[in-house]
Amino acid sequence: MAGLIGWLLTFFILISLIGVVAFQLVCLTDLEFDYINPYDLAVRFNKIVLPEFVTQGVLCIVFLLTGHWFMFLLSLPYLWYNVRLYMQKKHSVDVTEIYNQLHWEKKQRLIKLGYLIVTLVMCLFWLLWTIGVDDDEY
Amino acid sequence: MGTENPGRPNFPARPTFPFASPPPTMTPFTSSGPVVGSEVSGFRPTPPAAPQNIMPFSSSGPPVGSGAPAFRPSPPARFNDPSVSAPTTYVPPTGGPYQRFPTPSTAQAPPAHAPPMGQQPNQPPQAQTHFRPQPQIPSVPMGFPPQSVNSVPFTGNIPYSSSDSSFSASRPNFQPSFSPVDSSYSAARVRLQPPLPGYASKQSNPVTQAPPIPSAFPLHQGGYVPNPPTSSSPFHTHQGSLFPPPPVATPLGLHSRDQMQHPGSLPPVGGIQGLMEDFSSLSLGSVPGSIEPGLDPKALPRPLDGDVEPKSFAEMYPLNCSSRYLRLTTTAIPNSQSLVSRWHLPLGAVVCPLAEPPDGEEVPIVNFASSIIRCRRCRTYVNPYVTFTDAGRKWRCNICSLLNDVPGEYFAPLDATGRRMDLDQRPELTKGSVEFVAPTEYMVRPPMPPLYFFLIDVSVSAIRSGMIEVVAQTIRSCLDELPGFPRTQIGFITYDSAIHFYNMKSSLTQPQMMVVSDLDDLFVPLPDDLLVNLSESKNVVETFLDSLPSMFQDNVNVESAFGPALKAAFMVMSQLGGKLLIFQNTLPSLGVGRLKLRGDDLRVYGTDKEHALRIAEDPFYKQMAADFTKFQIAVDVFAFSDKYTDIASLGTLAKYTGGQVCYYPNFQSAIHGEKLKHELARDLTRETAWESVMRVRCGKGIRFSSYHGNFMLRSTDLLALPAVDCDKAFAMQLSLEETLLTNQTVFFQVALLYTASCGERRIRVHTAAAPVVADLGEMYRQADTGAIVSLFSRLAIEKTLSSKLEDARNALQLRMVKALKEYRNLYAVQHRLGARMIYPESLKFLVLYGLALCKSIPLRGGYADSQLDERCAAGYTMMSLPVKKLLNLLYPSLIRVDEYLLKPSSQVDEFKEIKRLPLAAESLDSRGLYIYDDGFRLVIWFGRMLSPDIAINLLGSEFAAELSRVILGEHDNEMSRKLMRLINKLRENDRSSFQLCHLVRQGEQPREGFFLLANLVEDQIGGTSGYVDWVLQIHRQVQQNA
Repeated sequence: MAGLIGWLLTFFILISLIGVVAFQLVCLTDLEFDYINPYDLAVRFNKIVLPEFVTQGVLCIVFLLTGHWFMFLLSLPYLWYNVRLYMQKKHSVDVTEIYNQLHWEKKQRLIKLGYLIVTLVMCLFWLLWTIGVDDDEY
Repeated sequence: MGTENPGRPNFPARPTFPFASPPPTMTPFTSSGPVVGSEVSGFRPTPPAAPQNIMPFSSSGPPVGSGAPAFRPSPPARFNDPSVSAPTTYVPPTGGPYQRFPTPSTAQAPPAHAPPMGQQPNQPPQAQTHFRPQPQIPSVPMGFPPQSVNSVPFTGNIPYSSSDSSFSASRPNFQPSFSPVDSSYSAARVRLQPPLPGYASKQSNPVTQAPPIPSAFPLHQGGYVPNPPTSSSPFHTHQGSLFPPPPVATPLGLHSRDQMQHPGSLPPVGGIQGLMEDFSSLSLGSVPGSIEPGLDPKALPRPLDGDVEPKSFAEMYPLNCSSRYLRLTTTAIPNSQSLVSRWHLPLGAVVCPLAEPPDGEEVPIVNFASSIIRCRRCRTYVNPYVTFTDAGRKWRCNICSLLNDVPGEYFAPLDATGRRMDLDQRPELTKGSVEFVAPTEYMVRPPMPPLYFFLIDVSVSAIRSGMIEVVAQTIRSCLDELPGFPRTQIGFITYDSAIHFYNMKSSLTQPQMMVVSDLDDLFVPLPDDLLVNLSESKNVVETFLDSLPSMFQDNVNVESAFGPALKAAFMVMSQLGGKLLIFQNTLPSLGVGRLKLRGDDLRVYGTDKEHALRIAEDPFYKQMAADFTKFQIAVDVFAFSDKYTDIASLGTLAKYTGGQVCYYPNFQSAIHGEKLKHELARDLTRETAWESVMRVRCGKGIRFSSYHGNFMLRSTDLLALPAVDCDKAFAMQLSLEETLLTNQTVFFQVALLYTASCGERRIRVHTAAAPVVADLGEMYRQADTGAIVSLFSRLAIEKTLSSKLEDARNALQLRMVKALKEYRNLYAVQHRLGARMIYPESLKFLVLYGLALCKSIPLRGGYADSQLDERCAAGYTMMSLPVKKLLNLLYPSLIRVDEYLLKPSSQVDEFKEIKRLPLAAESLDSRGLYIYDDGFRLVIWFGRMLSPDIAINLLGSEFAAELSRVILGEHDNEMSRKLMRLINKLRENDRSSFQLCHLVRQGEQPREGFFLLANLVEDQIGGTSGYVDWVLQIHRQVQQNA
């Protein structure tokens, strides 16, 4: 049962992460098509960058605590990348240069999104698997 | 001519070309009489001014038709060999084919056309080169054994060449008659080959220019524009040939041409002469008679005449805005992605929207009673290239080709030729640059008054350097000249460790000073009276400025609360926007935005962290810059310290607000005072555009993808410029959105929406057209070195902000090498290039400017080669310089003046005869007196063996003193007056900055090295290569895996 709860937890964390990253992507696309000005974007965007990083960190910890080594290793590069960005102070968008960075920021978000979806699929698999196993036990 | 050119490679192919690409068109052509007639009838109504032209044309039709059949039988076998062998893919480099058409026709009907108009003087120079081929045509075929029997399409060809041959001797006589015929011909060609009309218009412009100017427009207005009008024939032909096979065809074409030539070019002389027309070259092999391999330094190209703009473009499109406002890196826009990728130079434009026009060429102001006429879809402003149809009720947008309605009050009937009746009263339809008065839809708030706010550092170093005195005096003397009287607003803040506000309400007699020393919780006392109307409070302001230097003369405060002061200024100004002038003398040391000493660490250089020194250290500055722009505040930074002030951080404020950075290292009012005075006065009094935004629109399929300069992007293509003036230029790069451009002409429209100082909201619109080409050679031929160098410098400087200096230089070099390599490949196959370095004539100075760029202050050397602050300041400055000024900075002029001074006569214009010298130590003769002028300073170099007379005359009693302390002034003798006149003349050439004179004596170190020797770009300085070595180095790299 603890396993199931663990997986459910990771599942919801993942969903929220995907939501955050997707929102960032939408913001960037809006900017590209001029639906939003860079000032508003920077405010909106930078507000949710750190929560994303923290959530991802929490996800790693959950993996670690629940003993899912493989999943933990899988999400480690993401964590490392985030930490690196943060250390270099490049995590927030720069309102003055946003248009020059737009392309890269979007690409980065797309890769992150793909990565998260892969993780989500695996997580779902484990979730269902755990449910199955639990059922067998009873 | 006929004899020397037989070997000229290009010819055989050329005549064939037109036929080759669209074979079916040939038939119409041979029987051109009727076709032409029909075409003309459709055409006639439109080109209004040229009905006469048409007449000759239709009359010329028959002769052509009759002439052709006459010739047809006899020579086919002979002539079509070239045409057969090089059929579809040939791409002539000079693009002569069309010209070839006309000549035969003139030849065939010479009596009719020769007299009408002697247009020769008006013809653009290229036309002449195009003609050169003709006489040669006959001779080439001679060299060829008949190889194949002709088919019908080629018959048309023969008449030309044969007629050509028969007339070649008398060719010069025909030339004058050419253009009229040609213009009429063009009509026929509209059908023959779609591209042709372009040719027609190009050629016909000169024709129609003979009558008063307006008549040139009708041509465009009328029939020509709708068809891809204004591109020149060569491009079209190429397109024609290229379309069926994709761009890859170009090399192929060359190849086939090459094969063709071989028989013809056997006489070696011909080959080389042919080359000379296509490109310039430098012989790098050993010179006969000398053992040393290498090249003659004297033979290297040098821009001693300054910036030479390509002229052909302006002639091709007389309706374009002046090159002062818009310069394209190549005026031939590539039609495909693959072509872009083979053009390794930057593809883009340099825009200087408010460039100072010479007297008499002011931009006309147009005031539409109602709203401004714009395209419904793409929002393009009405311009000379739009066409009116439907009896004047509709107009077609030239950028997106949407048909728009003409509003009732703008309606004017079209005359018989399709031009608007009121054309001569409509500058927006006849001039490439106009200014529209914008109605209230273009305002988000009432137009702001011009606002100048001064943020002055009064810490001890500022007092000591005398900066405050100069600044206060200058501002005071400019009060009457500030633009926008009587609305102008003004305000001051001074700061050291506290912030001093000044209440200057008009009811006061003395300004009231309020000191705020709580830097963390800043508030603005009396927010309403800190910014005052200058005309109301002038007395108070004057009193303040008079007392400012003395107020702080005993100040011993060394701190500088720059960040809080900046915030305070922001709070005061954010209501209105305007211009903030910052006078900073020390490193900001208190409150937010305090900076630390950096750049002293030698070890950082050459590592990945090096670039961090050149960007803002504290995000505070970027954030402030963004906020300033948002509230329409432009920041100009004046920095004065001899110690590290972190210009990299301070300059960020100017970079994103459309401002500028003026750096006076080690400022001393006695020496630099005059420079500061002039430059500050210029900043305050020049015409300034407030709260502006700029957008550059361009035709379908292309777009501007990146922008470089001092501004902030507000959306993907909208430049926010809180204040902009004539000394700022912006560069941008183009990219193709579609893989293949189908239109023959692209249009660019720069629109700057701004508030003029007088309070009027205006839109300045510059429109330009450029042809689309399918040939790389043509792109190179139409390249504009100035614009390319300007873009290169901006790209390189931007690169120094994210990587090492060395990487930036290498990237620059690599791009030049790639471009030259690509160019070499164009010609390598068919010409024996050997050890020669080849480059297009248009880019002959590129290599030198590349070298100069690598040695320019922002990019040169490493740690020791220039101070970090100086480097950053120069970088910010170069990011906004207009093309001419940048080129002058990169390759300054060096002139020898002692002979001029000694000459007895004293006419004022005489100095124009003084030649510029190559920038090398060899040019300096120790018996001479030289002036070095880079647009920002003058260095006067006294040779060691200069006659003492001159020195005494010029310097008076101080001639033997150490020159660093001597200030050049006028002495009471002819020689000194002459020199001062010369210097003043040099300064007048460029008023955007004041060239301070630095006197240097030969051998006086380190000043000589610093002021002059380090800037002699052709010399080997430190680890950098000299011009000769640089050329050899580039050449070697070009040849590697060429």
